[in-house]
Amino acid sequence: MDWILFLELAANGAVTGLLYAMVAISIVLIFKSSAVPNLAQGALVMVGAYAVLAFSDWLGLPMWLAIPAAMVFMFGLGIGIERHALRRLAGQPIIMILMMTLGLDIFLRGITLAAFGGSARRMDLGISDDPLFVGQILMSRVHLTGAAVALMVFAALVLFFRTRRGIRLRAISNDYVASWSVGIGVEQGVALSWALAAVISTIAGVFWGAVQGVDQSLSLLLLKSLTVAVLGGLDSLPGAIVAGILLGVLESVVSGYLDPLVGGGSRELVVAVTLILTVLIRPHGLFGDRSVERI
Amino acid sequence: MTTASAEPLLSLRNVEVVYDNVSLAVSGVSLDVPEGQLIALLGANGAGKSTTLRSISGLLQAARGKVTRGEIRYAGQLVNTLSPQDRVKLGIVQVLEGRHVFEQLTTNENLEAACPVEMSRAEMRSALDRAYTFFPRLAERRNATSGYLSGGEQQMLAIARALMTRPRMLMLDEPSLGLSPMLTTEIFSIIRRINREEGISVLLVEQNAFAALDLVSHGYLIESGRVVMHDTATAMKNNPDIQEFYLGGHGVNFRDIKHYRRRKRWLT
Ligand SMILES: Nc1ncnc2c1ncn2[C@@H]1O[C@H](COP(=O)(O)OP(=O)(O)OP(=O)(O)O)[C@@H](O)[C@H]1O
Ligand SMILES: [Mg+2]
Repeated sequence: MDWILFLELAANGAVTGLLYAMVAISIVLIFKSSAVPNLAQGALVMVGAYAVLAFSDWLGLPMWLAIPAAMVFMFGLGIGIERHALRRLAGQPIIMILMMTLGLDIFLRGITLAAFGGSARRMDLGISDDPLFVGQILMSRVHLTGAAVALMVFAALVLFFRTRRGIRLRAISNDYVASWSVGIGVEQGVALSWALAAVISTIAGVFWGAVQGVDQSLSLLLLKSLTVAVLGGLDSLPGAIVAGILLGVLESVVSGYLDPLVGGGSRELVVAVTLILTVLIRPHGLFGDRSVERI
Repeated sequence: MTTASAEPLLSLRNVEVVYDNVSLAVSGVSLDVPEGQLIALLGANGAGKSTTLRSISGLLQAARGKVTRGEIRYAGQLVNTLSPQDRVKLGIVQVLEGRHVFEQLTTNENLEAACPVEMSRAEMRSALDRAYTFFPRLAERRNATSGYLSGGEQQMLAIARALMTRPRMLMLDEPSLGLSPMLTTEIFSIIRRINREEGISVLLVEQNAFAALDLVSHGYLIESGRVVMHDTATAMKNNPDIQEFYLGGHGVNFRDIKHYRRRKRWLT
């Protein structure tokens, strides 16, 4: 067995997995606060990436300004989506809420297609395309940077959840009625989690845009990130990180060895099998709360 | 009857509550909580005690219930339509039946979560200290995940958490539920201290009528969504109907007859 190849596949897989995890974290944030599985998450990543391009290409802002500007815009968009689309569905059957997030997904894709067209655009972060040698292993600089940022986002969230505002958000995700009973603004808390998720989506959009270009296919990230979120346990942030790395490594290693034999396509298969097996064998995921069916 | 001279802190007049737009749970409840007093609301399962408390705290909205008639006045203000959050700001707080602690949070985080947003760090620290003086057991377990606390400790935490909102009126929904008589005594004596030392008015819902009547000055008895008795605690304790009702265990028919008799006597 060629260990260098194996290590290279695993390391690059782990790094890509952390980029999935960044998207999965957004899913987890929203699910934790409101038990809504957000099917528009991939579209949010795409809109975040387009927002950065809008600020940089249309308004001519430099990247280091366009990204924070897009994050502010997305913060507002997250709040707006919660307030106008989801809040009025409170108490409705979960299927209606799912349909709403699906509708949002289609809406966001339609509106970006109209505004930006279908051809892929470059997201230039000024990071060199030259691969980086880590020992004997070749790695992509953009991926590595993205993975580091994903870990920083995770760390920032861990710290945030220790602040008073963060504790209130955890209280909301724990027990709505008890939160109301002590005057916690449940609605504001849920809106905040949508806003944070949209901001993190923007960061994810920046790196995924840099990796594969900005076009409609960014919204397909939903499938992989949802798989990561489910595998980690829909309500666990550390779960999203661990599951992201796990799925990334698995996908990269398996496809690295299988694809040459079967002629491609095994990546998608790994994701599908992981999702199906998780749901069948361990529906609460690796780290999720077993009683997660609460609405 | 009470001979309160000033206007009571809380007064309900003919409050009617409907769940899911159809099922009438409380029909015409009137009651008063004078400032600084301890008042009990007693009744059997399904009588409408929790529903009454929810109508006061605003938590009915969360249970798909609605006040369809009557007035809820608190500190001279009509609060019928206020959100639960606004009512907490005014000083109304309800400790839920079955405790409902934030199980994934530690004891200390449970208390912090209930701090008003505008409270400063220093104020929060002194509020925490005060809560822990009432419940020294909780201080010992301040960093424990609250889901793993004992039932009694969780009940204490639920009350302590409510205190963090700086209430003027504390409503407790069956705090003795599932607790040993000894723990019940301990918790009731803390409730008395909270009332005396902080001047917080208390509305206590209980099925454990005798323990409750030892604590409060006045009580209300509610049955099928109506107040059927209102008197001093002493008078209620000596009432044969209350004694018979809560020492219970009779056949259905016999109880039905008694119900009828009692209703005739107390409904005007
Ligand atoms: N969320 C709800 N939806 C519909 N009906 C309800 C709801 N909550 C209570 N009820 C009904 O309202 C009536 C009063 O219930 P409530 O919970 O207020 O009684 P209770 O006196 O608190 O009883 P317990 O001692 O068992 O807690 C009951 O008939 C109950 O079935
Ligand atoms: Mg009840």
